[in-house]
Amino acid sequence: MSDETVERSRVLEIRLHGRGGQGGVTCAKLIAALHSRLGRSVQSFGDYAGERSGAPIRAYTRVGDGAIENRNKVYRPDHLIVLDPTLLGPDALAGLADGGTLLVNTPEPAEVLAARFPRVRVAAVDASAIARRHGIGTRSVVIVNTTIAGAYVRAFGLPFEALEETYRAFGYSKNLAAAREAFEAVRESGPVDTSASPPSPPPPAPPKVIPLVEHSDGKSPGLKTGSWRSQTPRYARHLAPCSAACPAGNDVEGFVQALARDGERAAAAVLARTSPLPSVCGRVCPAPCMAGCNRKEKDGAVNVRGLERWIADHAPAVEVEIASCASPRRFAVVGGGPAGLAAAWALARAGHRVTIFEAERALGGVLRTGIPVYRLPRAPLDREIDRLLALGVEVRCGRRLERSDVAAIAREHDATILATGLACARSLDVAGAHLDGVEQGLAFLRRVNLESGARIGGHVVVLGGGNTALDCARSALRSGASEVTVVYRRSRGEMPAIVEEVEQAEHEGVRFAFLRAPVGFEGDGRVRAVSLAEVDLGPPDGSGRRRPVVSERRSALACDAVLLALGQSDDLSLLPDGWSLRQGRLYDGDDPLPAFAAGDLSTGEGTVAHAIGDGRRAALRALAALGPGAEEPRRDRADRVDAARLGRDASAREERNPLGVPPKTVRPEAIRADHFASSPPDGERLVEAAIRRREFGEVSRGLPSAREAQRCYACGDCTRCDTCLVYCPDGVIHRTETGYEIDLSYCKGCGICVTECPRSGMEMSA
Amino acid sequence: MSRELVSANHAAGWAVILAGRANRRGRGFGSGVYPITPQTECIELLCAHEIEKGQVVRVESEHSAMGVCIGFSTAGLRSFTASSSNGLAYMTENVFAAGYSRLPIVMMAVNRTVGPPWNIWADHGDTLALRDAGWIQFYCEDNQEVGDTTLLAFRLAEDKRVMLPAMVCQDAFILSHTMTPTEIPEQEAVDRFLPPLDLPHRIGAHPRVIGHLDMPHETEAHRAQHAEAMTSVEAVYSEIQESFESHFGRRPPDPIVPYRMEDAEIVLVTMGTTAATARRAVDAAREKGIRAGALRVRLFRPFPAAAIERALRGRRVGVVDRDCSPGSGGILWSEVCSAAPSATLIQNYMIGVGGGDIRPHHITRILDDLGARERAGTPVFMEIG
Repeated sequence: MSDETVERSRVLEIRLHGRGGQGGVTCAKLIAALHSRLGRSVQSFGDYAGERSGAPIRAYTRVGDGAIENRNKVYRPDHLIVLDPTLLGPDALAGLADGGTLLVNTPEPAEVLAARFPRVRVAAVDASAIARRHGIGTRSVVIVNTTIAGAYVRAFGLPFEALEETYRAFGYSKNLAAAREAFEAVRESGPVDTSASPPSPPPPAPPKVIPLVEHSDGKSPGLKTGSWRSQTPRYARHLAPCSAACPAGNDVEGFVQALARDGERAAAAVLARTSPLPSVCGRVCPAPCMAGCNRKEKDGAVNVRGLERWIADHAPAVEVEIASCASPRRFAVVGGGPAGLAAAWALARAGHRVTIFEAERALGGVLRTGIPVYRLPRAPLDREIDRLLALGVEVRCGRRLERSDVAAIAREHDATILATGLACARSLDVAGAHLDGVEQGLAFLRRVNLESGARIGGHVVVLGGGNTALDCARSALRSGASEVTVVYRRSRGEMPAIVEEVEQAEHEGVRFAFLRAPVGFEGDGRVRAVSLAEVDLGPPDGSGRRRPVVSERRSALACDAVLLALGQSDDLSLLPDGWSLRQGRLYDGDDPLPAFAAGDLSTGEGTVAHAIGDGRRAALRALAALGPGAEEPRRDRADRVDAARLGRDASAREERNPLGVPPKTVRPEAIRADHFASSPPDGERLVEAAIRRREFGEVSRGLPSAREAQRCYACGDCTRCDTCLVYCPDGVIHRTETGYEIDLSYCKGCGICVTECPRSGMEMSA
Repeated sequence: MSRELVSANHAAGWAVILAGRANRRGRGFGSGVYPITPQTECIELLCAHEIEKGQVVRVESEHSAMGVCIGFSTAGLRSFTASSSNGLAYMTENVFAAGYSRLPIVMMAVNRTVGPPWNIWADHGDTLALRDAGWIQFYCEDNQEVGDTTLLAFRLAEDKRVMLPAMVCQDAFILSHTMTPTEIPEQEAVDRFLPPLDLPHRIGAHPRVIGHLDMPHETEAHRAQHAEAMTSVEAVYSEIQESFESHFGRRPPDPIVPYRMEDAEIVLVTMGTTAATARRAVDAAREKGIRAGALRVRLFRPFPAAAIERALRGRRVGVVDRDCSPGSGGILWSEVCSAAPSATLIQNYMIGVGGGDIRPHHITRILDDLGARERAGTPVFMEIG
């Protein structure tokens, strides 16, 4: 009896070829489940070997109408599924009858495969690309099984609904979209040509088995397992969330790592590329970097603000490079606040001539007039302004410009940056707002800061919840107030003020009244009380915070003085007639002017960090507008990080990966937090509340050391920690002068290095 | 009762979970487990499910896994473990300890080739090497049988007339990892089928020595009792078949399973999944007019010698072993020889050793060879690649 006769099977036989890790066995099971759901008898099994990632594997499914009694593998498949086109050899095709169906996961069109295999029906789909787009797989490796099953359903004329039901039963519903895409995308070749040349001969029989007792001193035959690879690991820089979050555009991860590895001077050099004012931000920044820090959930965010201050205070004399510029231009910067200073810094470092016009007697803007010295002593501020001036920047201080001045300045310079900030403080249009003792907080702070103190007494009520409100409250305390209450219309968690500022104020004795809105002031000539309405929180508003709804429930809060800290708005009264501001640029009518707005005037974001970032970007915009020859400053990594963050700058392309997407921000789940020993953050050393509340000395003495930098995960940035090398199961990662090299002739693409990288400094590519 | 697309490993795992939960009315369930391919899926399933009054201890070796089972069982808990191949080899000392302590532990063993050289595929040699450890041994043919046998093994092992550990064997990958629709019983039905374990010799409130020195006359008595208990297995099993069928609506197969034996002149004796392939070859031979038949040995310990003797009377017999005892031949063959009527032609074929894929035409070749024989020769070792 021939083999054929006895082996004849009444069941449909499906054979699947894949590589370890592609999910081939599960794919065969899914197909079995699918047919089972359609009322057929099924059987499904894998052909297991040493369970090695990337190694060729087979899996089988049988479908019949009675009990399936077959207990051997499939040698004459009716359907053949190949998950990796590199497996398409005689070994895979063996036994597939003429006119049988071959479904392949491949980027090649079906016609190309049909030319290779004319005697069978070919269906092709790029399941890997689809699965990758849908993010199906482990944290490093794409898994195609659930995707290609969609193509199977289409290629074999089964109802997609059966697959939907099957995926629901298996809990795979989230993979249905990819399966649907494969269902739509699979393409079939034309008619089968059985007259074409017969398929290649079956593979040769394996070599003779060598007896165990035979002497052998030959070398083991090499097995270049790199040929098993369907995805390739590589080292790739990803964007750290701190850098992504920094409004100033600082390379945060870069300067923290520079501090950790190479010390203060190296870190200061990284900071100098983007910010002229690190000792300011190191003291007063709300630090969105820390809010975004991936270490937050483990044991607390890295104290980046404290580290920035540490760097600025410990490496004040870092030399700043000035690029040589063939055709230096003349720039005017109107406004010497943080945005203006940052614009001047960027332009001067690029080799251009800059003049700053400042209304006050000294540069600094709100840093000098608004922020109290207990938060920002003037010595570090002056030091950083001096460093800026040392670049050759000219300054005209002490005269507030008129509109005509602005027009003249714009004419006299190649380009002008307007950075006049938010000059108009918001007032309150309620009864009694004119009473004595009701004052703008900024005016109070100005007196405190510039006029060697301002006395204030009794119970001071501060209206507002931002940093200005806190500055007013704490300055009032230090200026003689017996009692200070901050009244805020939302709840504590929604205060825009820096959390630490609120805590420190509370420790100093400042009291808070939340969910209260001022609706009037009482008093006879001088304010004696604030009338407050209770506020209910309604549904979320545009900012995502719950909208305050003022109720009719009222109460009076007795007081001796009121400071308004309700925010500011921009003042466009400086603009000459006919000028307007559109997307950061000034226009005369519809004609663009070589004049640009920077900082709060442009963005209204209201923090020093935003102003610094926008000042620098306004400078870059101005340089770009002046055209070739203006010589934009050399783009370094910080600029690329910043550009990538904004996702709109051409230089971002430099860091793009071949998939054409900007560098990904490293999310917390991409960090292997277990690789890092637990260590709580270092706090800043604060002067005792009882002492500091009565004086203007700096509250914080900063961090005790730079040790905090060692806590940084270095998200997305290879630190040569050797984890990849240690975890590589095949030992194919080697150290080089600059990093690592992966021996791709043996790398199977298992993705373990990428999975285990503690900081997401690697990725898998197609 | 639900019908699930599961592997035989999971069929066994579900049976254990259900049996473990059923003993919540007794002293609970305790298990020591250690992974080894191809049984790991079974204990993974077990570890992933809560069992009321149950605990599964993950230990550092197979030796300890059985040690933990011995401890639990001695305390009167229902107990289970699973292993395979070299894991069983390492466990062996405690496999004997469980057997000769008369502890009704159930073990699911996936038959895998013992190495070196390393090999993970099917071969019955690993559990056959434990045939003398005093355990009941079943060899299964499909997923349903693996699940059902694992479940009923508790009742058989725990029966007061038996009180012996039981091993439920299945072929590596061919069953362990093959998924077919399989009936998984409901807990209520299992609760009714499987009474709580009442271990007569469990440790109680007062200290006593376990596994102490037996003098020769004592061991003689204990071995004789052990052998006696083995002889009662078939009768008790027969009762359990009835009970199982009344509870679950399907009858577990007999200790030996005949196929087209009525008028068969040549008969193939097999164990495990080879039986299904043999049936296909028998059908093909019958189509050609050859009066072929097959007999599957499902219960190997105790060896159903009398039934086999009756079944093989007047036939020409080929014993198909998926194992090899170097220096003798197939282990099943030597057992069948001891049971078959004298003067029966019994030829041994060893095939699929090391996990080779036994295909119908291989069995056809065996039938052709057997049909042409005038007398038995030395065991034939077939290399099928």
